[in-house]
Amino acid sequence: METFSETNLKKHIRFLKRHLSLLPASHQHFDVNLIAIVFYALESLSALGQDIETSYHDNIQWIRNNYISKTICEEKISGFVGGQTLNIPNAITLSLPNTLFGLLTLILLNDKEFFDKILDKESLSRFVSRCQLKENGSFVSVLDYKLGSPSPVDSHDLRFSYIAVTILYILGCRKEGDFAKYIDTKSLIKYILSQSCISGGFGAFDEPHAGYTSCALSALRLLNRLDVIPPSHRERTIDWLLARQVSNEGFMAVQDVSNEYYDEEDHGGFQGRENKYADTCYAFWCVNSLSILEPDYKKLCDTELVKKYLLERTQDILTGGFMKNDEEDADLYHTCLGITALKLIDDECNGLLCIPKHAACKFNL
Amino acid sequence: MGFQYNIKDYDDVAVLPLVHDGEEDSELCRIMYSEEYKQVMSLVRALLTENELSIRALNLTSKAIELSPAFYSVWNYRYRILEHLLQEETLLQNGHDASYLLNKELDWLDEFTLNNPKNYQIWSYRQALLTNLHHHATFIREQPIMELMIDDDSKNYHVWSYRKWCCSHFRTYGHELAFTEKYIDRDVYNNSAWSHRLSVLKQCDVDFDQELGYIKGKIEYVPQNISTWTYLRALFESHSTPAKLVDELLIFTSQFLDESSYALEFFAYLNSLPEVNKPQTAIDAYTTLATKADPIRKNLWDHKIQLLQHS
Repeated sequence: METFSETNLKKHIRFLKRHLSLLPASHQHFDVNLIAIVFYALESLSALGQDIETSYHDNIQWIRNNYISKTICEEKISGFVGGQTLNIPNAITLSLPNTLFGLLTLILLNDKEFFDKILDKESLSRFVSRCQLKENGSFVSVLDYKLGSPSPVDSHDLRFSYIAVTILYILGCRKEGDFAKYIDTKSLIKYILSQSCISGGFGAFDEPHAGYTSCALSALRLLNRLDVIPPSHRERTIDWLLARQVSNEGFMAVQDVSNEYYDEEDHGGFQGRENKYADTCYAFWCVNSLSILEPDYKKLCDTELVKKYLLERTQDILTGGFMKNDEEDADLYHTCLGITALKLIDDECNGLLCIPKHAACKFNL
Repeated sequence: MGFQYNIKDYDDVAVLPLVHDGEEDSELCRIMYSEEYKQVMSLVRALLTENELSIRALNLTSKAIELSPAFYSVWNYRYRILEHLLQEETLLQNGHDASYLLNKELDWLDEFTLNNPKNYQIWSYRQALLTNLHHHATFIREQPIMELMIDDDSKNYHVWSYRKWCCSHFRTYGHELAFTEKYIDRDVYNNSAWSHRLSVLKQCDVDFDQELGYIKGKIEYVPQNISTWTYLRALFESHSTPAKLVDELLIFTSQFLDESSYALEFFAYLNSLPEVNKPQTAIDAYTTLATKADPIRKNLWDHKIQLLQHS
């Protein structure tokens, strides 16, 4: 059976296309990360089987315009800015996340010309390399706008480690030695492992978080170094991930009375942390993490229930799109991860890159 | 010049206007900017290009950040402006006092934080201020904003992470047991509070038996709570597992086997330990989980049974 009814599919497509056209001033806060918005919408459309290669072919140049180079002490670096507002003379405004979103978007649009002729792999790798912190091996997302060293005011959590590794993977790195030409892989791996939590999973201050867990595992998988995870932590992480599937059966149901963050209607969905509500995006982060640690994960996890949760609880059948939970309006981020989680369960998605398999295959990814 | 954004202060600036690419057809996500947004962004782009490090530039970044909290380069710019204003020479020139400027900055940041609780930039910006610019920062000054934010959202991941950073930065852990206790008393399911308690435990010079008594009390209060059982297991594993403790915990846990899936899981785990080595008892507990207590994870519990049968 098809995942979406014809009516719902049409609504999702309309919801996504609307986000790619004219946006009201209330969306101004997206202005500095527009490339992310474009990625979420185009990735979702592509996952829904839309021929975006043809219908968004004319927009390729506009996306490419956000790929810029800068010079620091006679050394060229390149990457994407989040949008033209950030294209500022004499200031280094490249962003690691927007670079990944830009590259992935051009992959979705099958823009071979960009990768063959326009992209300067060496200067882009140099940008990635400059984002790594010498003191602990982790990555920041932006450089200081004047000095070109890691921005002093940026954070350095697992998201940016994942993003740095993924960019280098797209540029062709496969074995640890390939990555090591550009970044210090040993200290990066040490940093990732330092974020392991006692109870399984990865996160800060010993509280595991499904999003950070997915970042840690994807990065290690792309580095081809899953072997650095101790077997006991691997097992605990699988247990921890499976325990994030919310249930209203058996002894679980008793929480309904006293746990403020428990809702029996969340049955089958995934939460990102212990004692939190289920949320659309964690279906992706948890299923992706499970599929990395255990290719046979469907033997352990009831994925049909996840699908049911997404389709019946957080799919917005009125406006199209997916909601975070049943209380908020549908938004682009949760729409992207909701659709992508469903496709991941159907084996149609490359979860490491968060794009449809057919798009990844065209670039041998 | 005061510390308020006033458009008149920028009359002489050659603005760098926001450009739409011109080719309207090929542009995606074209935002209908408000006049104010266009004005402020074309000014901040201009000053950033010139790297003007001045009070009016600082005031402009307040406005730009208010309109676009995720504008990463402007946060970076603001930091460099402040760094410049704090240089001795500039302080003398402007007739400013360093601690006045820094407290003003923290006040501004507190206010912004309260209005933007989910923003990613605020905490790392704050860390940079306290680490590099503010030489008389204190843990006490940081307490109110952390408490306000956690009161508002008791599981805010950024704030709890920041609190851990503060403890380590100021090398102070004395308040942490009482602090987490306050939030655990409000909501025994608060996993962030439990996780924080676990992460600071080693630094707190806590009496093991006292802590064991504390967690047992919280489990007795609500037996079906994953956070408390996770804490108990971590506490147990941090100990050198004397046989006496295993026995004590087996007896304690067996009280809850009819009402808590987490008790069953911990009970199965204890019985699988080499010190106990009662695989059949563990298998029975997993069977109860699979059939009655936690059937959604039936496949996981069956898998654990198989592992025990094969070992």
